[in-house]
Parts: sequence; structure tokens; C-alpha cells
Amino acid sequence: MISETQKWKAGERATAAKLLSPKGLFKKGRGIVLGSILPVVLLIAWELAAKAGLLAPHLLPAPSVILEKIMSMYRDGSLFGHVSITLTRVFLGFAIGTGAAVVVGAVVGYAKTAEQLLDPLFQAVRSIPSLAWVPLFILWMGIGEPSKISLIAVGVFFPVYLNIVAGIQGVDRKLIEVGKIYQLSPFQLTKRIILPAALPSFITGMRSGLGLGWMFVVAAELMGASEGLGYLLVVGQNTYSPDTVIASILLFAVLGKVTDSVLKWIEYRSLKWQDSISNQA
Amino acid sequence: MLHINRLKRTFNNNQAGFQNINFSVDKGEIIGILGTSGCGKSTLLRVLSGLDPNYEGKISSKDGNDNIGMMFQEPRLLPWLSVKDNISFGLEKEERKSNKYQTYLDLVGLSGFDQHYPKDLSGGMAQRTAIARALITEPEVLLLDEPFSALDAFTKMQLQDLLLSIWQKKQTTMLLVTHDIDEALYLCDRIFILKGQPGEVFAEVAVEKPKPRTRGDAYLSKQKAHILNLLNVEKKAAGDEQ
Ligand SMILES: Nc1ncnc2c1ncn2[C@@H]1O[C@H](COP(=O)(O)OP(=O)(O)O)[C@@H](O)[C@H]1O
Ligand SMILES: [Mg+2]
Repeated sequence: MISETQKWKAGERATAAKLLSPKGLFKKGRGIVLGSILPVVLLIAWELAAKAGLLAPHLLPAPSVILEKIMSMYRDGSLFGHVSITLTRVFLGFAIGTGAAVVVGAVVGYAKTAEQLLDPLFQAVRSIPSLAWVPLFILWMGIGEPSKISLIAVGVFFPVYLNIVAGIQGVDRKLIEVGKIYQLSPFQLTKRIILPAALPSFITGMRSGLGLGWMFVVAAELMGASEGLGYLLVVGQNTYSPDTVIASILLFAVLGKVTDSVLKWIEYRSLKWQDSISNQA
Repeated sequence: MLHINRLKRTFNNNQAGFQNINFSVDKGEIIGILGTSGCGKSTLLRVLSGLDPNYEGKISSKDGNDNIGMMFQEPRLLPWLSVKDNISFGLEKEERKSNKYQTYLDLVGLSGFDQHYPKDLSGGMAQRTAIARALITEPEVLLLDEPFSALDAFTKMQLQDLLLSIWQKKQTTMLLVTHDIDEALYLCDRIFILKGQPGEVFAEVAVEKPKPRTRGDAYLSKQKAHILNLLNVEKKAAGDEQ
């Protein structure tokens, strides 16, 4: 037992209780403070420089002006409309892209024949820069919602698909043998061993898919939209109002970060078992 | 209990694997399989466990029960399951939710660790969990492929004693592959010595001393010398790796 006691203690140390302890919170708070020093200093410097007339207001307005722009959009109610339509597009595209990737990825990852049949095609299609699809989608589906959502779905599909296939094919043969010892059916084997083992890779795919989803919603909304944050970018450009442009860039950043944090939280919750640096508490 | 008749599984045009294996195992016996690396010991266990169906010959168990347990050199725990769920893995769905695991958790000395994940276990604790997982389905025969060879000497002895105490409680029939002569002498009733490429049973050594035995007592030392001698008769690359 003696040789193992140390490890037991290490095990105790890694529990979640630690994270919630005052000390853990303090550590986390410290990280946030450290990380915000530079942005805050830059913001103040920017504001001061703008106030002092060092920056041309028609090119780079002060942060307070941008904030005021966002607040005014909030007050007249247009902010909610733009944000919600963009979020809806990303969400739908993400859901469709991920759903398709799960189905196709599972089949390709699991069945050798399906891989030989489908994978070369997908690899070829993947090498088309996805923005090149835009004109085609608009031709096919018009400039309405279907073409935008399809474009986002295509962007989301590939990273998710590639990661699922890699995840399934990378499952340790030794663990599959454990399932075979207990005579699991192929379905049970998939459910109880292959899917959980491929989950980390799947979540990685979803996170990069979401990143691409945000990129593609900008593209889709730049092409032609009457609402949405991308539309605001166009409006800002056409009306020479950099505050509108920067405000929507800022909103994109915030939304991208928030949605990614949701996935990150899911990742943390479902991958607590992983032996990785980030789990070392 | 378990009868094996002219069992054969070879690879590369009969250059590897094993052939011509015949033996019977009685209920409650612990059989050792000793042999140099590459003589087909793991292949034999893979065939017996059903992982490798491409064999020739006959395997029959008395009551046609195919409930076989297997332990590997590595614990092979599922990293996303807690110790409790890993132990319960081989059970049917309803039983997996029951607290049947508790008996086996206690049996292997891991009480209180049921919620830990494999990443938080030491090598010895992980292998204890694997023992509990293999036993919970109450297999007729437990196959063990060098189960302790990756552990430090001290933990290894603890787990050998654990295995022995489990055997005393449950009289589980075991087939233990090892390349550690002392381990085989400490635990087994009969030891088969495999040799050659493909491997064949070259000798059988009975250890006629009731368990538990004392490590390194005179009788075991004598048997050890005998086995070393057997392994060295042919000047081929024979010899124990220890
Ligand atoms: N699936 C396989 N295909 C080809 N050769 C194999 C396969 N499995 C094992 N072998 C060969 O059979 C021999 C015996 O392997 P193994 O049973 O693992 O030996 P041991 O466990 O006694 O060290 C080795 O030379 C190995 O390379
Ligand atoms: Mg082996």
C-alpha cells in the first residue's frame, strides 16, 4: 500500500472540490485580472488618444463613441434584431452541419467500404475554399435564408466530419477487445466504447466548426442581407461610419467567444475523465 | 472443466504462433504457462478467450459455458468510466445499476475509490480494478496474460497475494501466462513450459505444495532450478527473461 498512498493523495487533489475552494477561485480570479491588464491599458490609451485628437474620428472613433453606438442600437431595438438573426443563422447552420457530419462521419469511420467510397470525394470537395460556394449557393437558392444557412452548414460540416472520422478510427483496439471479451454486439460496442472514446475528438471538431460557422455567417451576410451583424458591417462601410463597423466587429467577437465558452463548458463537463494538463487543477 | 485438443494457430507460414497444444484443466486449478517471448502465449489466450476465432483444433468446456474472463498485461480500463462503472462493465444493464460492484471493490481492496477515474489511479490500483472487472461476471475460467509484469516488484507481490486470496474464496479456475518463474511457482498447481516457433508444450511441471506457499522456500527453489534447467537444455534462445 505504501507505494500507492502518494498516488491516492494525488487523486484526491485532482477532484473538482478543489476548483470550487476559495483558493481555486482566487487562482482563477488572478488569471482573469492578469489577462485583462493589457486590454484595459490599450483601451484607456486609445480613448485618451482619440480625445486628444491624435486619431482621425472618421477612421478610428474613441471606444466611448463605439459603446454609445451600441447603446443607441440597443435603445432603438435594432441591436436585438441584428444579433438574434445572426445567432439564428449560425445556430441553424451549425446544427445542420454537425448533424450531417455525425451521420456521415460515423458511417465513414466505422465502415471501410463507406470510407473508400466517400472519403476521396469529401477530401476533394474540402479543398475547395468554402467561400467559393457563395455564388453557386446564391444561384441555386437565391439570397434568402436557405443559401446563407447552407453556406454555414458546409463550413461547419468539414471540421466536424474530419474529427469524427479521426476519432472513431483512432479508438484503441485494445479497448475494443475488452468489449469483445464481454461479447458486445456491434451496436453496443459502438455505444459503449467507440462513441465515448471518440467524444474528445468530436468536441474538438465542434469547436473548430463553430469558429468556421462564425466566419461563414459574416461572408453570407456580406453577400446580401437586410438584417444581421454582417449587414451592419456593409451599412457601416457604405455610410462611412466606422463606429458601426467596429461595433459589429466587437459584437461578433463577443458572440463568438460566448458560444465557444458554452462548448468549452460542455467539453469540461463531459471530459473530466481525461488525463490532460487542463485537468490538473 | 476445460479441454484443449490439438489446438493450433499459426502465422507467417507456420513460423509463429503455437501448435499441437493438448491439455485439460480441472475446476479450481491454477495453470501456469511459461515460455520465452514470442512463443505464442498471448496468441493462445486470445484463442481461448474468443478474440481470435481462426484456430484449428478443439476447445471444449464441460458445461458448454463460454463465460470466460480475461485480464491483460495492461489494465485496459475505459478512461471515461469511474472505477465503479469499469468494474460493472461486463454486467447486464440492470445489474450495472445495482451495487453488485461493491463486493468486488472491497475484494480487491479499493473501497472508497468507486468514483475515481482511471487517470487518478496508480498502476497497481488500475490492475486491481481490472481484476474486479474480470471477476464480477463470475467467469468459469479466468485467463491472465502477464497481468503483473508491468508492476514494480512490491506491488506485484501484493497483487499475487490478492489473486491467491481470491482463489481461496472463490476457487476460480485460472490460466496464468507469465515469464516470471517465481510467480508461476508461487501461484500455480501445474506449469506448462512452451517452447519453439511456433510454440509447443515442451514440459509440464507439477508444483505439489499446498497454497499459500512461502516465497523462495527450499522446494520452490528446487523446482525453479529444474525449470531453468528445462529452459536451457536446448541451446536455442531459451531462458527466462527475468
Ligand atoms: N495477428 C498476428 N499476425 C501475425 N503474426 C502474429 C499475430 N499475432 C501474433 N503474431 C506473432 O506470433 C508470435 C507469438 O506472439 P505472442 O503470442 O504475442 O507471443 P508471446 O505472448 O508468447 O510473447 C510473435 O512472433 C508474433 O509476431
Ligand atoms: Mg505476450
